[in-house]
Amino acid sequence: MRLGMVRGRVVLNVAVAPFRGLRLVIVEPVTAANLAAANGLGGGTPLVAVDMLGAAEGQMVAFVEGREAANPWFPGQAAVDACCAVIVESVDFRPAENPEDRK
Amino acid sequence: MYLARIDGTLVGTAKHETLAGCRFLIGQRLDADGGPTGEPVVILDWMGAARGATVVVSTDGDVARRRLGNTTPARLTVAAIVDNVYQPDGSERADGNERAAGSAE
Repeated sequence: MRLGMVRGRVVLNVAVAPFRGLRLVIVEPVTAANLAAANGLGGGTPLVAVDMLGAAEGQMVAFVEGREAANPWFPGQAAVDACCAVIVESVDFRPAENPEDRK
Repeated sequence: MYLARIDGTLVGTAKHETLAGCRFLIGQRLDADGGPTGEPVVILDWMGAARGATVVVSTDGDVARRRLGNTTPARLTVAAIVDNVYQPDGSERADGNERAAGSAE
């Protein structure tokens, strides 16, 4: 899972069957610098993810990527490879100030 | 699998139902020199990894699926907590735990 800021929604016109009724959001992954600064910025390359939690714009989510993102449809199948799994309430992120110390 | 350093924790109330009660850590993947690389990742932990610890992260969802059921989207899990990393150039990198404890004084 990576962390991302919800930046918008995607509304579909024609879609494969499993996508009907699904909510899609645009998620901008959060870089380490932005997460440490807690500035609400993303910084990564945005992607589209399925959202079953009702994440609002500006909220931070943790999203799963890969085959596992389609697991919630088990035993059915869905062409999903990114899915919001957690709406982030709070993050306690304090990387080592001097990474050399950790080596 | 890859090495990551645990740099934080995450709390979220609204989450996929299978993730209730799980412990979420925020880690940073380590490059060959032991420095953080890429974007931070959220990792499920049943091992009790502490902040500053180096862990082996498994990117296979099978472990999570066995614990949380077939419908869980969870993928990254802590597979092991690392004591030492031996590099081919002969350097030895201890896990950050002891160093962090020492530097706090």
